[in-house]
Amino acid sequence: MAAYILRRLLYAIPIILGTTLVLFVIFNVVPGDPALQLAGKHPSPEVLASIRAELGLDKSLPQQYLTLLKQLVTFDFGRSYATKQRIMDMLWEGAGPSLSLAAPAYFLATITSILIGMFVAFYRGTLVDRGIVALCVAGQSVSVLVYILTGQYFLSYRAGLFPISGYDPSWDGRWAYLILPGIIFIILSLAPSIRFYRTIILDEVYQDYVRTARAKGLGERNVMLKHVLKNAMIPIITDLVINIPFLILGALLLEGFFGIPGLGDLIVRAIRDTDRPVLVAITVLGTVTFVVFNIISDILYAIVDPRVQLR
Amino acid sequence: MSLFGWLDKYVKGTSLTSEAIRRLLRDNFAMVSLLIIVTYVGIAFAVYFHWIGVEWQTEIDTSRAAPNLAKDWRYWLGTDLFGRSVTSKVLQGTYTAMYVGVVTSLISLAIGVVLGALGGYFGGWIDDVITWLYTMISNIPDILLLVAISFALGKGINAVIIALGVTGWVSICRLVRAEFLKHKNRDYVQAAAALGVGHTRRIFLHIIPNVFHIIIISFSLRFVTAIKSEPVLTYLGLGAQSGTASWGLMIDDAKGELVQGVWWGLAGATVGMFFICLAFSLFADALRDAVDPKLRT
Amino acid sequence: MSDNNLLSIQDLCIDFQTKEGVVHAVDRVSFDIKKGQTVGLVGESGSGKSVTSLAIMRLIPNPPGKIVGGRILFDGQDLAGLSEAAMRKIRGNKISMIFQEPMTSLNPVFTVGYQIAEVLRLHQGLGKKEALERAVDLMHQVGIPNPSQRVHTYPHEMSGGQKQRVMIAMAIGCKPDVLIADEPTTALDVTIQKQVLDLLAKLQEEYKMAMLFITHDLGVIADIADDVVVMYRGKIVEQGKTTQIFQAPQHPYTKGLLACRPSLDRHPARLATVSDFMTEDGQEKPAHARSPALENIKTARPIEAAHTVLLEVKDLKKHFPIRGGLFGGVKSWFHAVDGVSFQVRKGRTLGLVGESGCGKTTLGRTILRLVEPTAGEIIYNGQDISKLGREEMRQMRRKMQIIFQDPYASLNPRMTIGAAINEPMIIHGIGANSQERKKIAGDLMDRVGLSAKVLSRYPHEFSGGQRQRICIARALAVKPEFIICDESVSALDVSIQAQILNLLLDLRDEFGLTYIFISHDLAVVKFISDEVAVMNGGKIVEMADAVSIYKNPQHEYTQRLLSAIPKGVPKALLQGAGKTGLEPRL
Repeated sequence: MAAYILRRLLYAIPIILGTTLVLFVIFNVVPGDPALQLAGKHPSPEVLASIRAELGLDKSLPQQYLTLLKQLVTFDFGRSYATKQRIMDMLWEGAGPSLSLAAPAYFLATITSILIGMFVAFYRGTLVDRGIVALCVAGQSVSVLVYILTGQYFLSYRAGLFPISGYDPSWDGRWAYLILPGIIFIILSLAPSIRFYRTIILDEVYQDYVRTARAKGLGERNVMLKHVLKNAMIPIITDLVINIPFLILGALLLEGFFGIPGLGDLIVRAIRDTDRPVLVAITVLGTVTFVVFNIISDILYAIVDPRVQLR
Repeated sequence: MSLFGWLDKYVKGTSLTSEAIRRLLRDNFAMVSLLIIVTYVGIAFAVYFHWIGVEWQTEIDTSRAAPNLAKDWRYWLGTDLFGRSVTSKVLQGTYTAMYVGVVTSLISLAIGVVLGALGGYFGGWIDDVITWLYTMISNIPDILLLVAISFALGKGINAVIIALGVTGWVSICRLVRAEFLKHKNRDYVQAAAALGVGHTRRIFLHIIPNVFHIIIISFSLRFVTAIKSEPVLTYLGLGAQSGTASWGLMIDDAKGELVQGVWWGLAGATVGMFFICLAFSLFADALRDAVDPKLRT
Repeated sequence: MSDNNLLSIQDLCIDFQTKEGVVHAVDRVSFDIKKGQTVGLVGESGSGKSVTSLAIMRLIPNPPGKIVGGRILFDGQDLAGLSEAAMRKIRGNKISMIFQEPMTSLNPVFTVGYQIAEVLRLHQGLGKKEALERAVDLMHQVGIPNPSQRVHTYPHEMSGGQKQRVMIAMAIGCKPDVLIADEPTTALDVTIQKQVLDLLAKLQEEYKMAMLFITHDLGVIADIADDVVVMYRGKIVEQGKTTQIFQAPQHPYTKGLLACRPSLDRHPARLATVSDFMTEDGQEKPAHARSPALENIKTARPIEAAHTVLLEVKDLKKHFPIRGGLFGGVKSWFHAVDGVSFQVRKGRTLGLVGESGCGKTTLGRTILRLVEPTAGEIIYNGQDISKLGREEMRQMRRKMQIIFQDPYASLNPRMTIGAAINEPMIIHGIGANSQERKKIAGDLMDRVGLSAKVLSRYPHEFSGGQRQRICIARALAVKPEFIICDESVSALDVSIQAQILNLLLDLRDEFGLTYIFISHDLAVVKFISDEVAVMNGGKIVEMADAVSIYKNPQHEYTQRLLSAIPKGVPKALLQGAGKTGLEPRL
């Protein structure tokens, strides 16, 4: 077991190197001279040179890449180009609001989706099943922005049930601002999750061991809740774990529309301000976090599924 | 009770493809979806050839006029804050959406199918390289990758297309690779090898026809993802700029329009997007069922 | 109705809704199972035997299946009309069932002990600890070594045979009155099959259970069943005591089924087929209408001068890497084929027999270089083909062909069979133009017993046996000298198997072909081969001519293999049969 974990962790290193390399190529090589982008129109050579020096662009490409790695390892990405704040401070500040919004909403959304997924799998083929699936497909044919806009418009603006936007950093005050975006978060994730869990559960329902369970005299409910669910939980749990980094990234659009100062909102502002150091920092850190959680998910899978032989 | 089922007598032959087509003809949802798709394609062409929707930028009325069915078609969906015809914008947006959807999906398909086929069929170091490549890309969260590429390529619809195309090929590649691995070891391909059939024939004449339906389904799903990503990128400022008309821009503009009581722009763009996404999703599902009816939905 | 009847099926009718309409899977089937007796339900695919057994347990998926008529009387109740709740009390408790595929029939995420205990807790209300103790006891009874430890293992850690024992333990846990066994040994090797059948017989004695044993294998039926019910296309064609059925079958289908099995102690030159006894609509064919060749006895063909060595394999090895360790490096090698040497003479047939995993299939593919050999020589007609380049190997492929096991996977589903047969001709330049090729293809189809008119059809329009004929035609299209038949009849019903074996024999004689015939079925191999090689663990343990290897096996493994085969004749009839073996009166 320890060897398996060690092997997965070691495997992470080439992946992190590879992904940072890909991102590096995208950020530094593709756009030509990043300094030109940042300098605006008609920059003077001195301005360009100073920007380059500031961004470390005057060094050779391999050196720049090493600098990026150094930044990653030391968790120091310098300062934001737009606000001059230390980027790591900005990330810390943003993490709180993002998690406050995403974590509870994700938790509720997952439980609801699994329950509904099991429900439609139990009644598979009936009108109820097909109706709910149809509703999900229809729901997924509408843009995310539309849900946010209409939610904001009807429930906040017209009905006045929730504040339109804004945020209160205090522990008690924040929840009032998070309810509506939380609700929209849950609604947005229902359709894809229900369909996904339904597929996973149905895959199990048609297996031979289910027939054996019925032949033993187990009722349908028992078959679903004990035999099927335990098998289905394996891919479901690993999927859940992989999605955790996205919670930290924040629900980008929700934060933007509702003015919640989380990491997602940070990304939105950085794009708007062409704040390259912030974008680099977030993409690189976000990717590394994603890789780490992938590894955790793999390890979890190995623990939970007895069929996986750990060498 | 099928609307187009009577056409199935024109589809002759006993091949699996003919049977699938006949099944599709009997499936009402599939046929209606196909009709919708064809209609949208038609509109896109009409806009491209400047037959309709040309003057979407001209101010036709006082701004913020509500939908008015009494006047000519340009007023049916009202006007936006700048007095432009929402109907024209929706039509123009149809072209943008179809353009984005088709080109993005084609790019993703081209890269994904070729790499997946090569990796799955030949294995060895070719497969190792391709697997490494898509592992790297899939380990970067989609949204971050989109942001990074959009940053690198600048703004505008074409940058969006390239960004979406380049991030979208991974899932197709995985699927195609898995299919090639599966079929390569099937007896009928082994039999072909034993008969002396070379690699090229095996890939193109034996395996690809059996993978084709997966490619079409992937195309449909990619299309929907691309269209739905466009508004998000536009909201972030990366997508369509104000010179073009797109549903994404219309939805984004709704931020300012709604508070002024103007809801018809949002409605028009949402409805336009709704039907084409629904159509492609239903068609992909129907195709899956038609090709292998033993699979449960 | 006799009081001795435990389970009585009366006029059972089951329909299935398919896209082509309603299929009468079971049509007025009636038979009884008495206390403590074993009823063998025998039939080929499509006969409805499995559906009947699932119906007793009310496990038929609905849709698409439904019991539309008849009664299933058990313990005074009609199971066909019982409520689901009442039925649940019977399943696993009074009537138990074991299935064919042990590999997938157990839940992979629960220990075997848990799954056995589950049935005890459900029906007998035992507590967790008690049930687990009982489970250990049951595992001991079914012959699983170290039960107190193994009770905590997971299914994937066990072999197929052991998993089937676990299934049996689950089934007998509540001391059921009836055990339904649906092809429980079909997926197992013949040596394991013997162990499982012995186990079932022992348990049946001990628990005084009645057993309904479903199989397509008449040999197994002869060994274990008291009564036999023969089903064909949803109907019962004959039923009665086993000795009576085997000695004096009445219905032509039964006669055909009995006659078409290759057996170890008879030496026909040609196998009888069901169609020798029965017309399409079920009428009996008179004796004189049958193929006269059936009377011939096969004699061992002596080796003549013309039988030069066509293929020689020298110390052939194929090793597969096993990956492991910290970086997925190669830890060790699996010796699938471990130094095999033999010769095959022109015009003769070498039978290659062994159980699953012995390497016979890998050997076949390595000889054809569908899988590259690790070491050794493959000398065909004096030339070592293991070293040939791509283009030369392609030329060689004209002469060496292969016919695979699974008729449903050997043909490209999207190619017409005409195109499939055409393709090798185009590649090797056979036939000057497309008309000529079409004629050749048509001739080939005639030769294998199909019509030239069906060339434009697709594989899914044909049955398994027909598809195998098409594969044979395709292999013949390049005019080969040498064909490897890799379990080519193993996936076919017994009566179809006989037809294909006869066809292969005819083609061999007509075209002077040389065969290597690979199979796990010793009787089939004996029928078609001149020489037989027995394989185990990647090596050939014994090789001799077909007659002596069965009469006088030298190697211990061969002896074990032979003794595990069901005699194919009821024991009662064996005593007093004497040396002549048994010829059922037809």
